[in-house]
Amino acid sequence: MNILVCVKQVADTEARILLTSDKKSIEIENKYNMNFFDEFAVEEAIRTKGKVKDCQISVCTYGSNKATEVLRTAIAMGADKAYLLDNNGYDIEDPIITAKILASFAKTEGFDLIFCGRQAIDDENANIGAMMAEFLNIPHVSAILKFDVLDEKKARVESEIEGGKEIQEVQLPALFTTQKGINEPRVPLITGVMKAMKAQINIIDPATLKDLSKGMIDESASKISVLTYETPSARPTVKIIDGETPEQKVKALIDILKDEAKAL
Amino acid sequence: MDFKLTEEQEFFRKTITDTIDKIVVPKSQEIDEKDEFPWETWKEFTSLGYLGLRYPEEIGGMNADKIMSMIFYEEIARGSVGFAQSVIMNILMGTYFIYRFGNDAIKERCLLPAMRGEKIATMCFTEDQSGSDLGATRTTAVKDGDGWRINGTKMWITNGPICNFCTVLATTDPSKGLKGLNFFLVEKGTPGFSSGQIIHKLGCRGTVTGELVFDDVWVPDENFLGDELGKGVYYVGDILDEVRLMTGAMALGIAKGAYKEALEFSKKRIAFGQPIGNYQLIREKIADIDTSMNAARLMINYGAWLLENGMDCRVTAAEAKMYATEVCLKVVDELTRIYGANAFAYEYIPQRYFRDARFLLYGGGTHEVLKDFIGRMIIGKI
Repeated sequence: MNILVCVKQVADTEARILLTSDKKSIEIENKYNMNFFDEFAVEEAIRTKGKVKDCQISVCTYGSNKATEVLRTAIAMGADKAYLLDNNGYDIEDPIITAKILASFAKTEGFDLIFCGRQAIDDENANIGAMMAEFLNIPHVSAILKFDVLDEKKARVESEIEGGKEIQEVQLPALFTTQKGINEPRVPLITGVMKAMKAQINIIDPATLKDLSKGMIDESASKISVLTYETPSARPTVKIIDGETPEQKVKALIDILKDEAKAL
Repeated sequence: MDFKLTEEQEFFRKTITDTIDKIVVPKSQEIDEKDEFPWETWKEFTSLGYLGLRYPEEIGGMNADKIMSMIFYEEIARGSVGFAQSVIMNILMGTYFIYRFGNDAIKERCLLPAMRGEKIATMCFTEDQSGSDLGATRTTAVKDGDGWRINGTKMWITNGPICNFCTVLATTDPSKGLKGLNFFLVEKGTPGFSSGQIIHKLGCRGTVTGELVFDDVWVPDENFLGDELGKGVYYVGDILDEVRLMTGAMALGIAKGAYKEALEFSKKRIAFGQPIGNYQLIREKIADIDTSMNAARLMINYGAWLLENGMDCRVTAAEAKMYATEVCLKVVDELTRIYGANAFAYEYIPQRYFRDARFLLYGGGTHEVLKDFIGRMIIGKI
């Protein structure tokens, strides 16, 4: 069985992020991580490998050379092969193009099972997995919380729905996006870290992939353009309500809600 | 000149940082408060294989270069210096002589389990009247049949009370001073070998430090760790630079943790209507911390590079250890000033950094001894 895991390198939640002067792009401090939900995808692939015969895990990302770090992390955890779909020269912000590139790579290599994280924690789009499945014309289930391979052609998955859970049987090949709770991502062993440090990262120009050309994935093909980035408005200062007793404080609060906030 | 980490070193830095954040950092306050050896954290961390950091891959190690080793020492000390001391003892000093001089049976019995975390190692230099002054060592080893009989008491032994084996420095001929010193392996369970008083420390809590007693301990000839008698002090010289750089890297680790606290606090603490990080006197502190830490890191990495390339780094290692430790003391002090009165309370983290930093003044040589050494090396014999 061939498993593909798609991962993304995102800014660390503690990284300093600044807007450029024209507000059209952002500058991120050099602190990056594997996307939170993608760690579950890598872990689930590794656990699946432990349950089926002759299984190989490939991990891929569409990103810059810096993103090889997340590919190495996946190898340290237990993935076998890594592919960087190099975005150098393709300055796009359009998720449908990213999905098209990833799908084209999957088609080129051929996979029985694809895992992605539920969403990236930077742009929160949550649409790459679903769009990839559509381009590949394979079934998909989003935000799964349990995964079992029944045989080489079938898998059973559980996902949360309003007020309960849904259990589905899905024909393979298929794509699944992983949700927090499906597993506990492992901390890599040093043997994995060593393997990852030496691992060869296969670098691919997306324009060379099946059914793709430069004109289909460069800036001119994008139907979305970023007009501006804005920082969140500053939080108003906290006001401590004075008063000796709870009754006095409640009275003062009501006065503020009436007179200052005009909420009453 | 190339100051950039290689892609492999950068990846290692990222991985060990994440690992320490996941396994050690959440336990750091508890380790300090309980002041007991953290067996659970030890098992969880050592199962990952990091104790083989500097040993060859053929025996299950990682064969890390010296820069990577420094990254490791810095990061684990950032997590918890008490825990780091025990881990580093197994990685470096506690197993160095076993790896270098032990026969296959000893390596099988001691080194390999120590690399897996199944056995705890230590190294015994210090006595009540000798630390930096190794020539004053009073523990003796006297030839007795097919082995050696060891008598003496060692103090300030990291991991001592819980160790499974130790490398002991003893004199085989007190009349020869430094040239009479040699190393011997003593394993737990050997008659006459016992642990004495446990030392309750100001910082680095969680590491069990104490006294080891050798009362007529007999060990076979194979436990003599060396090529020939009287070379012990030269063997110390072979590892001393790495130990000093390691101590500097640990100091940098504590400073890094303290710096992060200081930076976060200066952004969120509001005084007179704005974050204190907006005030020039706080910015000056942050600027000084950042500058001095960067300088210390450059010194440590330079020393590690010299060591890796087999070049003389005696002065650089001593300077790096001393400078990084003094920087660390300054950083933890500034943290307690930026943090205000809460830094004085046990409920908050700064006091732990403040206490932990003090210990690094002594490990790897006191600064008084190091300054004398550096001056002597530079001026030479007049």
